[in-house]
Amino acid sequence: MVEKEITCIVCPIGCKIFVRMDGTNIKKIDGYKCKRGIGYARSEVLDPRRVLTSSVLVSNGEWPLVSVKTSKPIPKNKIFDVLKIIRNTKVKAPVKIGQVIIKNVAETKIDIIATKSVK
Amino acid sequence: MIEHSVDVAVIGGGPAGLAAAVSARENGAKDALILDRNSWLGGILPQCIHDGFGVEETGISMTGPEYANMYTNAVKKQAIDVWNETMVLEFNKKLEITAVNKKGLHKIKTKSIILAMGCREKTRWNVLIPGDRPSGIFTAGVAQAFINLYNILPGKNVVILGSGDVGLIMARRLKLEGANVLGVVEILPYASGLPRNVVQCLDDYDIPMFLNHTITCIKGRGRLESVTIAQVGKNMNILPETKQEIKCDTLLLSLGLIPENELSKGAGIELDNITGGPVVDQDYMTSISGVFACGNCLQVYDTVDALAVGAKHAGKYAVTWKSKNDGLKVKSGKDVRYVVPQKITKKGTTRFTLRVEKPMQNVTFYVKSGGDEIFKKKLRWVNPANMVEINVDISDKMINSKKDLEVSIDG
Amino acid sequence: MKNFHVAIIGGGIIGSTIAWELSRYKLNTIVFEKGSDVASGTSKANSGVVHSGINSRPTSLKAKFCVEGNQLFQQLSDQLGFSVKFTGKYVIARNNEEIKELKKLKQVGEQNGVPNLEIKTEINEPNVPCEAALWVPTAGIVSPYQMTIAFAENAAINNVEFLLETEVVGIKKQNETFLIKTNKGEFKSNIIVNAAGLNCRSIVSMLEKPDFNIYPCRGEYLILDKNYNNLVSSMIYPIPPREVDVLGVHITPTIEGNILLGPSAEFIEDPEDKKTTKEMMNQLLIEAKKIIPSIPDKGVISAYSGTRCKLASPEEGRWADYRIEESKQTPGLINLLGIESPGLTAAPAIAKYVTELVSKHFDLKEKTGFKVKKQGKRFNELSKEEQSKLIKKDSRWGRIVCRCEHITEKEVIDALSNPLGAKTLSSVKYRCRAGMGRCQGGFCTQHIVRIMEEKFNVDVKDINLKSPESYLFVGRTREVKND
Repeated sequence: MVEKEITCIVCPIGCKIFVRMDGTNIKKIDGYKCKRGIGYARSEVLDPRRVLTSSVLVSNGEWPLVSVKTSKPIPKNKIFDVLKIIRNTKVKAPVKIGQVIIKNVAETKIDIIATKSVK
Repeated sequence: MIEHSVDVAVIGGGPAGLAAAVSARENGAKDALILDRNSWLGGILPQCIHDGFGVEETGISMTGPEYANMYTNAVKKQAIDVWNETMVLEFNKKLEITAVNKKGLHKIKTKSIILAMGCREKTRWNVLIPGDRPSGIFTAGVAQAFINLYNILPGKNVVILGSGDVGLIMARRLKLEGANVLGVVEILPYASGLPRNVVQCLDDYDIPMFLNHTITCIKGRGRLESVTIAQVGKNMNILPETKQEIKCDTLLLSLGLIPENELSKGAGIELDNITGGPVVDQDYMTSISGVFACGNCLQVYDTVDALAVGAKHAGKYAVTWKSKNDGLKVKSGKDVRYVVPQKITKKGTTRFTLRVEKPMQNVTFYVKSGGDEIFKKKLRWVNPANMVEINVDISDKMINSKKDLEVSIDG
Repeated sequence: MKNFHVAIIGGGIIGSTIAWELSRYKLNTIVFEKGSDVASGTSKANSGVVHSGINSRPTSLKAKFCVEGNQLFQQLSDQLGFSVKFTGKYVIARNNEEIKELKKLKQVGEQNGVPNLEIKTEINEPNVPCEAALWVPTAGIVSPYQMTIAFAENAAINNVEFLLETEVVGIKKQNETFLIKTNKGEFKSNIIVNAAGLNCRSIVSMLEKPDFNIYPCRGEYLILDKNYNNLVSSMIYPIPPREVDVLGVHITPTIEGNILLGPSAEFIEDPEDKKTTKEMMNQLLIEAKKIIPSIPDKGVISAYSGTRCKLASPEEGRWADYRIEESKQTPGLINLLGIESPGLTAAPAIAKYVTELVSKHFDLKEKTGFKVKKQGKRFNELSKEEQSKLIKKDSRWGRIVCRCEHITEKEVIDALSNPLGAKTLSSVKYRCRAGMGRCQGGFCTQHIVRIMEEKFNVDVKDINLKSPESYLFVGRTREVKND
């Protein structure tokens, strides 16, 4: 039986939540101050994910970079794989906010989308 | 000088200026003009490519550019005029603004002015860090601009001084861009940024934090070579036996923000020494009738959501204002560092934003009118890094009593 | 290999004023400066004071050149455009002992030929409490780097060659000529003017055994925010203290509207050690507040240090006169040794004297068509009409890139287009002031970098702060890949 301590990141308070688990079976969760904490704690111990934000090179644009994000949180352990692909990507201006820059990045089934428009 | 006139002029096109200008038009301003010194709108937002913006305001966690885009669309929809690469040189009590841009010098006559100049970063010399003066020292925001807007990397082996949110965000950013982030140095016994940022920026990437530490010396003839850190004691005094030298080539300073109020000073606006911004009433009007202040130039906010509430309010009253009345003073009492607004001139439900002096648990906020309790609120935990909001009903009776209000903590 | 008549080693105030004086004559003159710009050493890191001469020992060269130089400043300012302001100085006395010292100081001044000295019991400085003060009207302030740049650029447009980032590593004498080896090649010259400041001894030792030592003595300064410039209008000096650990901090308004506190005086081992220290910064503030109690605790916007080239150690009494002479052992080598305060003031007079020394070797024939590059007023100093006219002529005057000092894009471009070819961030800062305000480059740095990239084709990796090793960036966030 293992007890993990995590800090919830859903809201600014940052409750310290304790999760007791046996393998992948969660036995007990406590320390949260609201329901959202339970959901976060569960996903954090079983399948930790993060939204990744970064930049992609733009050619012929008014700015050299376009800021991008993963359309949904991706598994934490895929972050550096995804970054490698982002680093080798170039997109031609104009870029529209929300445009898909990379589809299904690193087989996560999640896209990299532009978060700003570049003329 | 080229002459213009506009109902509402907004100085600064960052999140506060944008929200205020849109609100002004929504509340009936015949026209509105935003003046911004950069070639883009959004102020600091376009370089804040991380998410976490707008959660309270919209329910969605947006990145800085996405949040800015929401407002720039509204600016277009409301047909608000925008002058970029324009520097306001001064404004006066007659509500006339002097500004300069590539088209020339301009004199803008207005019915109201909204100050939304934002803030600047504290520099090395605001805290007098001794040592050499090499290259490789950047304030965190400037480093962020170079990496995210201009496609320029400032360094490889990085130390960050200050664990506020900007410093934490930049720790992660640099790590993701292949830098070796050696640590975040923080003089307090706790991180001053949000716990979620400590997790997502430091813990996730095994970046160490040196709490109770400060930088005592900077070394480097040409480029930065190392910083010396040391632990501090209870009185913030350096403990010399704890000194350690960290070899690095880049130092990011995340020491805090200073509201920009040179224009306000020039116009003779009354400033609050503690907030660094203008003294305002519940409608965000400053000591000059028709001049309003909002955003980081009024007080440094933690979230853009809280900032937008105030900015929208200021935008509304910039249109509907009538002459200023004398009001009650709002004083900050025990354990409260400051309260905004600092003046109340009319009845109604007033939103106060404040910061406490030190971290505390299980506190009760009291608002007193001439010593009589008119409001009470309990909070489980508070600390100076997190702005507190309370909504207090102010009655005609309180206004007429002419007794000052005080916000304090007891317990 | 090009032959020069005169090779000046060092592009500080001394080397630059000498270069300018010599540039009037039909001579091939070259200046070797190891920094990335002129005024890279002590010339930019001092108090910027035009001394009257009251502080110099009578009959010394320091006194002679100081008083002579002082009298030349107004005319040079009018001619070359660098600003000078005769604010005057009060040396204050706070008790009877000190008043006695004032009288002595006045006598020394009069002996040196300093005019119009007056002891007053009431001074025109409401923030400075004192019993009496010596009023020195011929003391003034100047921007030391603006002045050095004015002389250097004027010398350059009159055909003096300036080689920046060029260090002299060896000198040999071959008959009547010097063979000078630098990191940028070899050069021949008939005369060498050793104006190398803190490196003056290493230059001498390339040719002969030096008969002197240098003792670097560092001075730290604090700069106050312009918001406090109404604290004083003239310079305020206390009576030089007797105690060894008391600095005797000076309060000096600057030409740009800040206030300087300092300098300290600390003998150090390494002349290149330009650190500022916590101890000195604290001591400067404490002592400054003793003179002007209303100086704020949090008004400092910057700190720096500069190092004096002293010829006398603490044991030898810390004082030695200037040595400006042609070496007897090595004819043709003109040495300028120990040029510490009042070096800035003395510079124009020293330059004339060195020209006389050079004239012993050559028949100096004046050039025709001597050019003048007069520094114009800053945009923020002009009237609104003048500003409007400029913007109409060139719209780049209308874009402000330095929010603290209101410096325009045009001024940054002009600074980067200087005749010396200096292209560092500091060379922009010292010419047009962008980066010297309270935000210390927080706003302007990104815009100056963009201008350097776009308009001057400087690669980001080549953008330096102030010296070849002080690179700013390591590369791109994302590189351009070939498709």
